[in-house]
Amino acid sequence: MKPALSPDPEPKIALIGNPNSGKTSIFNQLTGLQQKVGNFPGVTVDKKTGTLELSNGRQAKLIDLPGAYSFYPTSKDEKMVVQSLVQPGNENYPDAIIYIADVTKLEKHLLLFSQLKDLGIPVLLALNMADVAEQEGIQYDLEKLSRKLGAPTLLLSGRTGEGMSKLKSMLVDLLDEAPVALLNSTKYRLAPEESKIINQIQAEFPGYTPYQLVLMAHHVKWLSFLNPNQKTLIEQAISNSGFQDLQMQVEETMQRYDQFTPIVQQSREKDSLHEINFTDRLDDLLTNRFFGPVVFFSIMLLIFHALFTWAELPMNFIEAGFGNLSTFLQSHLPQHWLTNLLTEGVLAGFSGIIVFVPQIAILFFLISLLEEVGYMARAAFMFDRIMQFFGLNGRSVVALISGGACAIPAIMSTRTISNWKERLITILVTPFISCSARIPVYTVLIGFVVPPTKIGFVSLQALAFMGLYLLGIVAALLAAFVFKLILRTHESSYLMLELPAYRLPVMRNVWLTVWEKVKTFTVEAGRIILIITVVLWVLSSFGPPGAVKNAEMAAQSSAKAKKLNADDTQDLVDAKKMEASFAGQLGKFIEPAIRPLGFDWKIGIALITSFAAREVFVATMATIYSIGHQDDEYSIHEKMANQRDPVTHQLIYSPATSLSLLLFYVFAMQCMSTMAVVYRETKSWKWPLIQFAFMTGLAYLSSWLAYMWLS
Amino acid sequence: MVATSNSGNQLAKMKIGSKGHVSHFTDCCMACKLLSMGILPGTQIEMIRSAPFGGGCYIKADNLLIALRKSEACCIVVR
Repeated sequence: MKPALSPDPEPKIALIGNPNSGKTSIFNQLTGLQQKVGNFPGVTVDKKTGTLELSNGRQAKLIDLPGAYSFYPTSKDEKMVVQSLVQPGNENYPDAIIYIADVTKLEKHLLLFSQLKDLGIPVLLALNMADVAEQEGIQYDLEKLSRKLGAPTLLLSGRTGEGMSKLKSMLVDLLDEAPVALLNSTKYRLAPEESKIINQIQAEFPGYTPYQLVLMAHHVKWLSFLNPNQKTLIEQAISNSGFQDLQMQVEETMQRYDQFTPIVQQSREKDSLHEINFTDRLDDLLTNRFFGPVVFFSIMLLIFHALFTWAELPMNFIEAGFGNLSTFLQSHLPQHWLTNLLTEGVLAGFSGIIVFVPQIAILFFLISLLEEVGYMARAAFMFDRIMQFFGLNGRSVVALISGGACAIPAIMSTRTISNWKERLITILVTPFISCSARIPVYTVLIGFVVPPTKIGFVSLQALAFMGLYLLGIVAALLAAFVFKLILRTHESSYLMLELPAYRLPVMRNVWLTVWEKVKTFTVEAGRIILIITVVLWVLSSFGPPGAVKNAEMAAQSSAKAKKLNADDTQDLVDAKKMEASFAGQLGKFIEPAIRPLGFDWKIGIALITSFAAREVFVATMATIYSIGHQDDEYSIHEKMANQRDPVTHQLIYSPATSLSLLLFYVFAMQCMSTMAVVYRETKSWKWPLIQFAFMTGLAYLSSWLAYMWLS
Repeated sequence: MVATSNSGNQLAKMKIGSKGHVSHFTDCCMACKLLSMGILPGTQIEMIRSAPFGGGCYIKADNLLIALRKSEACCIVVR
């Protein structure tokens, strides 16, 4: 142990590798951090960091960089890798690199490694998938590989955890190596043009290796750390030397393959037996021209069926639990507004959050399972053509499907689409896909439109539920088509997608994803829901001075005049009191605008609060209606079903109003968090505002038409 | 290795189930991407199947499974 020789008290170690090298699984193994692991190329769209406990007891910062094939990037993800490694002062510039390569595809995975070697950063070569290699009978002479490639090499498995402690002790050695003098050569033969450029610009960039200077010449257009003077200098050097970007790329790449391919072949002791290939046989079915799409849609149907049926029991259990707790507290605590705040505000809010945990858990369980297995890339392949027709990319399918869980991670996953237009369209239309936050709204309202009968073993309500999802998908595709015609681009678009071999899912990764998503929902969304619930309770319990009292007296005298019985009188009084409260007045203020859609001011309140997050709708309804009644045992649905207009006695949630409301929730942009993410991803408020306008406009129009048609 | 001459067949026109070796590429930009994924001149290519809704193909390059669009497959010349 020679800690004094280490350059940094907490050294930075970067994890780098090709997409599908199993890098993220190793990151999980090393840091224990909760993070999403998938088979889809480029699932790591954000930089993830974690703390790594080294074998000498010291700590290191581990940075998980996005998967990349080479230093010649086409996507934003890959550009991030280049940006971090070309500039020695960059905040992500590592003290050491763990390069992860799939040992079963070693010839394909060493290009980026050989490029990394030319940066002069200490590199450790970790050959992943040791378990698969053993099964397939692949074997390498590690000592020979290590010697010829010039990097410490070991075999490990992110799946089984094999080799992790060895990796940690090798890292200590790697970090303890005396700092090497700045690398002043490259492993590959520089072209004369490249040497010329290096000579012309190296004075301006002290501390950079020759290969970093070459990469700067290749990427001068987008490297953001270069100042205008430096860019001009590099561009001049390029035109003086006759440097050809693409030609040099190809020549460098070919040279590198020529260097390491013989090494790989000479170090290989046993090659794969190539017996029956499970992936090939499974893909015969799963990507079949006919059965492929059939299987895909069956899986989707199964997911929605599971959401509805598997979640029912735990949901009922949670609802009953909160109902009992609320009744218990009300009968044992003194009559006071604080008691009401606790039972009608806080508890109702908690119930509204927790009750949707089963559905969210089931959805993310199934989606991350599909990702883990490697199916998502197949979906991208199968639907690329159709997606292209609508101005999207095969990869958009993954974003659109993930949008069924939550638009926020879905929009972030579009970074793997290298074409800006396709990416922008995907971002703009993804929120049309019904996310999990709409499930509560759909669940509550669907019963008012469709009776709970069954056709065979599928319930009619489940079919209607799927219909709403399809409606969202159709809207997304049509909107995408319109944007395809409007937006212009000169960039070229790619599919070129690696289909990973099917693997049994690592359940630890799946559970981590489910846990992380549920936690995010309950903590992040739940916090907003709880705050809004309490604010709403205050707004609906209090009003301008005297207004609530006056309304109560007026209601009582009008009830007397109509000779109503005690229950009806209480309902009328409650309704009138609510109407006079702050919340009622706010709802009434917007009522003229939403009356054509069949919405009253109570729904108006819910619409307003839903712009914070859609799932607030149900919590809002719970608050509004539990104030209208003394008993808390009824579920929200039953409460709403019993709501009648106090004067006309007609059902408030008639099929016309309920359908209109459902359509509004299918189409409208009602999520501040999504808009914030769209702003972040498009770097302008223009796109989230356009998105808000067209989505909410479509929502208003369709709700209005539906209400006109049914009433 | 990047040439526009028409010796050999375009990968896009290969029959399903047939095999060949990459001869060269007809588009420099596409060649760079394919090279970095490990599709090189000399790589063995097998046409596995075409996409369900047309337009794309599923190929095996050595032991790598790759989905390509028709336009991408057109850039690879196979002998």
